[in-house]
Amino acid sequence: MMIHQKMPQSVALAAGLMVLCLVAFLADQLSADPTHEGAWQSQDDFQVPAGLKPLRIPADNPMSVEKVELGKQLFFDPRLSRDDTVSCATCHDPNKGWSNGEAFATGVREQVGGRNSPTIINSAYQYFHFWDGRATGLEEQALGPIENPIEMDLTLKEAVSKINAIEGYRSQFNAVFGSEATSDTLAKAIAAFERTILSGDAPYDRFTAGDKSALSEAAQRGHEIFFNRARCSSCHVPPNFSDLGFHNIGIGIDAEKLDIGRQEHSKLLGDRGSFKTPTLREIQRTAPYMHDGSLATLADVVDFYVKGGNPNPQLDEEVFPLSLTDKEKADLVTFLEEAFASPNYPHVDPPVLPDWPSDSDGQSDGRNGEVMNTIRVEQR
Amino acid sequence: MKTNLRWLAAGASVLALALLIGGSALWAQETKQGNSGQSGGGQGQAQGSQGQAAGSATEQEGGQDEAEDKPYEYKKWLIKNLHNPCGLAVQPETGDVFIADSAASRVLRYGTVVNDKNTYEVTEVITGFPSDVYGKGPMYNVGPMGLLFLDKETLVVGGGGHKDGEELLRFYELPAAGGTKTADQMKFTMGPIGPGDKSETGEGNFYALAKAGDAIFVTCNGDDTKGWISRCTIQGGEPAEYGTFIATKEATQVDAPVGITTDKDGNLIVGQMGEITVPADSLLTCYNPETGEMIWNATTDRFDITAVAFNPKTGTLYCLDFGWMDESQGGLYRLDITDGDDGSKSVTSTKIETLDKPAAMAFGEDGTLFVVEFGTAKEGDLNHPGSLWRFDGLK
Repeated sequence: MMIHQKMPQSVALAAGLMVLCLVAFLADQLSADPTHEGAWQSQDDFQVPAGLKPLRIPADNPMSVEKVELGKQLFFDPRLSRDDTVSCATCHDPNKGWSNGEAFATGVREQVGGRNSPTIINSAYQYFHFWDGRATGLEEQALGPIENPIEMDLTLKEAVSKINAIEGYRSQFNAVFGSEATSDTLAKAIAAFERTILSGDAPYDRFTAGDKSALSEAAQRGHEIFFNRARCSSCHVPPNFSDLGFHNIGIGIDAEKLDIGRQEHSKLLGDRGSFKTPTLREIQRTAPYMHDGSLATLADVVDFYVKGGNPNPQLDEEVFPLSLTDKEKADLVTFLEEAFASPNYPHVDPPVLPDWPSDSDGQSDGRNGEVMNTIRVEQR
Repeated sequence: MKTNLRWLAAGASVLALALLIGGSALWAQETKQGNSGQSGGGQGQAQGSQGQAAGSATEQEGGQDEAEDKPYEYKKWLIKNLHNPCGLAVQPETGDVFIADSAASRVLRYGTVVNDKNTYEVTEVITGFPSDVYGKGPMYNVGPMGLLFLDKETLVVGGGGHKDGEELLRFYELPAAGGTKTADQMKFTMGPIGPGDKSETGEGNFYALAKAGDAIFVTCNGDDTKGWISRCTIQGGEPAEYGTFIATKEATQVDAPVGITTDKDGNLIVGQMGEITVPADSLLTCYNPETGEMIWNATTDRFDITAVAFNPKTGTLYCLDFGWMDESQGGLYRLDITDGDDGSKSVTSTKIETLDKPAAMAFGEDGTLFVVEFGTAKEGDLNHPGSLWRFDGLK
């Protein structure tokens, strides 16, 4: 259930502790951070959860504790929308698997978009962002929703202006980037934060590392089905359980107005109706599923694949009718529910946000505090 | 090096030869063997449908690249109007080049005419392979794919014209000079690798072949959860057993083994193409051909590696990048492998030449490199865009 609430002191305290923990974690991880050279740098010593690959950090946006903290505030700040009601976290809610629990994203003025909100978990590993991959790199992605008229509906100039009007942000941008916010540094800060939202060390990882008790017997049977007869690993490739590519599985192919997906940008017929392969990490938290949110449960997803998707000329060759018994389907669902649920789920509480600018008489304009009211938070 | 001028001064004979089969004309340039094993000679061209020589100085110059400031001495096209060429092999001893002219369902030979070592021709060697469609758009017709000489007279052809689970590995005793065989006149057939425990879909699209020890290794496209390299054992010069061998996707977590060759130690070097919609995800991987165990695996910055080969003269490794999602990535690249302190390998690539959807390559014994590219059809042009290129003097 989604509620609107004012952040209680306990939550604020928890958020503060979370920040401290994150700062300490990153300070530890980044202490041996190598110099950032080249187009992409593999930070082998940037320790990520067990089972995941080393992160690749853009050379022009190295990680720092201060930048991540700044990015977190921006991520949760609804002032990056026209009517101060929608933040990144509105559609990428840590309490809902960093998605929003709904079929579609809802933006300013209650406008509803046409696609499901993809989780940002492990988005650091994606080459492409958005379901159709129209953005390459998190920095490019970060600005998209801000500018989208049905999401946050600000021009970048307006967004930067609003941020720079807030002293708490201005000082942080100066400290992190050496200048007031720009659209470039706004994107970099948000992207740096998103790179910390990682899920690994899940039962699958422990099972793969040799702990055969990490998965239940049913999940182990599902594991075998996942990697073989059900062919899930054709596209959902470990460790992030995405091949980073685009595939047509027939979802929405019979819609009155076809969403052509990747083809919109690649212009290739083969990409018609193709969408990015999502990660399966924390999949049990991110219902509903598919780019149009049309499948409510993991059982629905399994049933969809078992029937062979929706046939169409560009249907991926790996999607065809499967012969699985009800028990096998149940085992597969159990695997999906168990395997990718990390005990160290990357939950982040909303941070304390910088105050609104004061009026000329030094008084608050009265909006402080309301900001927190408009952040949609659900109790865990 | 003014190689071109030397050839012209040599006044090499020029003969434009053409081939018209099934209504499709090949354009071929002649290449004359020069001194010290280097290629030379002028070239002409002919439009096969007319059977008339149409060489000209302009075409001659256009066909060559003197390659100033490039890491090879020159390049030139040898054949144009190929149909999605997928495979190449250089015949031992003769140096003749065999091409899987895939969409035309045939294997071609590019070599000298009988009793004239200075004149080259293109002839059909094997015809009538089955064909299938590859891809969802662009869609490519394909037939025969990987080629390999088991010995001078035995050509192994990896099929691509059947559906997964029905594909064949065919062994042909080459016809006498000037002769042609049909695809069903093979000496041996191995496969298919049908659906089963090892491969849910069965295997198909036998992209490329390499020989290591007493076995032929074949990169396959079939069960995408496994990414199989299959193995055909050879006993007494004949194929013995054929089946799945290395599950490369399980080993590397990346899709599609395609390019394959052997290194100086006899290990398999495999170019893992990766997803065609994802940039820079190709891998270079080394396997023990006896056990199938992965020896090392390295990421590359290449988009879609379709072929790997060592220059037999220098030991330098090269690859082709098809550039599915980004045509600008298509080309010939040198791959430099560096040892890490921890036993890992890192690979850097250097672009040697831009090519249009290159699919296969093979070195001659003298270090001459032959490359085929799919090319891109021009609107309104009825010719097929595939071509065979030759590079001399590669490091």
